[in-house]
Amino acid sequence: MFIVEFVVLMFLISIFAGVFGSIVGLGGGVVIIPVLTILMGVDIHFAIGASIVAIIGTSSGAASTYVRDKVTNLRIGMFLELGSASGAIVGAGIAAYANSPVLETIFGSILLVSLVPMVMKIGEDIPKSPELKGASKRLGLTGSYTEVDGKVVVYNATRPVEGLAGTAVAGVLSGLLGIGGGAFKVLSMDLGMKLPMKVSTTTSNFMIGVTAAASAGIYFARGDVDPIIVAPVALGILIGAAIGARILLHSRNTTVRKVFAIVLAIAAVQMILSALGVPA
Amino acid sequence: MNLKDPESMNVVIGRALRYGVILSGAIILLGTIGLLATNGLSDASGMLTYNANVVPHDSLDVSLGGLVQGLVTFSAFSWIELGVIVLIATPVSRVLISVFLFAAERDRLYVLITSIVLTLLLFSILVTPFIPGFHA
Repeated sequence: MFIVEFVVLMFLISIFAGVFGSIVGLGGGVVIIPVLTILMGVDIHFAIGASIVAIIGTSSGAASTYVRDKVTNLRIGMFLELGSASGAIVGAGIAAYANSPVLETIFGSILLVSLVPMVMKIGEDIPKSPELKGASKRLGLTGSYTEVDGKVVVYNATRPVEGLAGTAVAGVLSGLLGIGGGAFKVLSMDLGMKLPMKVSTTTSNFMIGVTAAASAGIYFARGDVDPIIVAPVALGILIGAAIGARILLHSRNTTVRKVFAIVLAIAAVQMILSALGVPA
Repeated sequence: MNLKDPESMNVVIGRALRYGVILSGAIILLGTIGLLATNGLSDASGMLTYNANVVPHDSLDVSLGGLVQGLVTFSAFSWIELGVIVLIATPVSRVLISVFLFAAERDRLYVLITSIVLTLLLFSILVTPFIPGFHA
């Protein structure tokens, strides 16, 4: 394949990855990694390096819109970053001693199991907001955003400690494998902290850039960030994320939840396949 | 802009992210055009395979000196690399800016939280790659 073909093809696929990644709050890695390894025959190291860059691109590209339009909750995001940033360091520290296939099987199974409560909530548009009390109140974990029909939705977070623990797990996973943190972030906020779905995915989207940046140094220093692969991925992702952000702002929570459930299922299967030795 | 107005935090952070993304996108685009102009019709397959612990391409040097050298000689790879570095720096600057924004709001708790996140982040990016046994 000529470089020009590769660049154009990856650019177009990355636009698609950016659209989905920015809506579901996972970044574009779920699409980018299997496309690179299975379709393009790229080595998994380069694929993970490209995925890290894709996640940062999706995050920053879409967050600029989500933050401006106040769907992302800045305080919840920054509070939970305590968990994901420390988890990422722990994950990187134990990577040498960890049995990746076993961990991938465990994490993949958790994602599969979490599909059940996700599907049970499939029709939920706006959750019944819990009372603001305790640590959530002291941390100011509350907010409001404007729905597509112009209605202002006011919400409070509950169980911040559990949320923080969930995002710490997300961080460990990112530090360890370079992938997979976003799903645990969304699940922590949706199932744990009872936030509206769009707040959960856009706040996860806001956070994944920081978590990915935490591990970017090592991938870069190792030479895993291949300019030929990363250039079209970054350009496509940035365009896709800008499109995805506009789509999310015009979508209902129910739609976002359906799309998330589908991508969650794909991410879970990918992780289990990877444990079995399929480089997806 | 009045930084004590809570609304301004969204505006400032939103803009910081947008500028970072536009700057990195523009640099990567320039590098990509350069890459296609010079190497567009070369075979890509050899560049997509991996040698563990070996820098992937002869023309790619991930050290700072190598990067600067590549930039002044207009190496497309180095310019793409620079764009990627700007992209990685974007969320980091966002955290740094939030420390100051929370300080302007006199929100001590969140100044503390964001300062810890920033410290963890800088440690992770700049220090852990050089700790033996990390990321093996």
